[in-house]
Amino acid sequence: MSSMKKALLWSVLMAVALVAPALAHHSPAAFDRTKKVTLVGTVKEFRWQNPHTWIELEVPDEKGKQVVWGVELTSPTYLVRAGWKSNIIKPGDKVTIVVNPVRSGEPSGIFVSLTLADGRELLERPARLGTTESK
Amino acid sequence: MTSSMTMRAAAAAALSFVLAGCSTTPSKPASPAYTPTQAEVEAEKAGMLSALAPANLAKERPAPPFDVTSNWFIDVSQNPQAWHFYLEPYPKLTPAAQKEFDASKKYEAEGKVYKDDIGQCWPAGLPLIMTRYWPMAMIQKPTAIYMISGFMNSVRIIYLDGRKHSDPDVIIRTYNGESIGEWQGNELVVDTIGFRGDHHWMDQDGPAIPAGEKLHIVERFRMVNDNKQLEIEFTMTDPDHWEGEWKSTKRFNRVVDAEISEVSCLPDLNQHIKSTTSKTQVFQ
Repeated sequence: MSSMKKALLWSVLMAVALVAPALAHHSPAAFDRTKKVTLVGTVKEFRWQNPHTWIELEVPDEKGKQVVWGVELTSPTYLVRAGWKSNIIKPGDKVTIVVNPVRSGEPSGIFVSLTLADGRELLERPARLGTTESK
Repeated sequence: MTSSMTMRAAAAAALSFVLAGCSTTPSKPASPAYTPTQAEVEAEKAGMLSALAPANLAKERPAPPFDVTSNWFIDVSQNPQAWHFYLEPYPKLTPAAQKEFDASKKYEAEGKVYKDDIGQCWPAGLPLIMTRYWPMAMIQKPTAIYMISGFMNSVRIIYLDGRKHSDPDVIIRTYNGESIGEWQGNELVVDTIGFRGDHHWMDQDGPAIPAGEKLHIVERFRMVNDNKQLEIEFTMTDPDHWEGEWKSTKRFNRVVDAEISEVSCLPDLNQHIKSTTSKTQVFQ
């Protein structure tokens, strides 16, 4: 896929993600959807569970101190449809995660994308079920 | 087809016709009438026969005009925000509700989240449980409709067996309330009262409007769009929080490729969903 096509696909996916509410139990208003933070770090824990999957990621700050970021994802039901598995990452894995951060500046954010050590990129699938075409 | 096969088929059809018309030889055995147990007789006398008691299920009733049994999901195809009840115009709020509404707008402008009780694991409650961004299973029996939300597995039961609302001095207040349904023509009309009035809101992620103990919701269920969609027209009153009737109509699509799974707000959930305990949250 050309870089232009990839960029276009990415922008479309992001537009869908922005208009579709996350499958969250809490209000998403805590997150600044206009900002993205790229976290390069080491997986501390990955919990595959309802209502949210979550990742704790150890990320060095500018002084080299390890800060644990909390990353919130949607339900495994939708992650599976986007190619995820419960063992796709494990503690110790080096990954890059992009998040929309909480507005308070604390080390917490809602998931945008994951890049594995082998370069594979994973997204969420927006929770958009049911159509009028269903019988 | 050979002529002998045609003859045999004609003879078989004629025999079936004769047997079907013969009163002493029914084409299919009639189901035996159910004899209530002593426990069911006593429960019926006490007005406590449960919706799933065989004696209740076996009672003769008119056939309902439709069956809602399916998994459903709010239709957001025309508007991603259609799951909200906070779609304008809002009703005219009472001073008590206006205070909460104004506080939520103030904190929203500061980038904060005001009293997100659902995020702290309080139940969503009616009406919001119907349009949460999770599918809802509905299972219809002659005496009741059982609903299980994919959101925290919240259970809602609509009784269809002719019972009345519980006496006010015994009703158990809940976030989904007590729902009694009645078939009227091609619609199911559901009357719900008995709500808890604490940590109960009319919506989430928007201006805060409380749902109180006087909340009364009448829903009109109907099948639309060639039976592909379920439509529910909500008429909601709560004199402690707004004036007159607050109306909203929602449509739901069938979900044929996803199940309702076990979802709980466990004690350790928010320890790891850090936004729920961040400084963005305003609890008072």
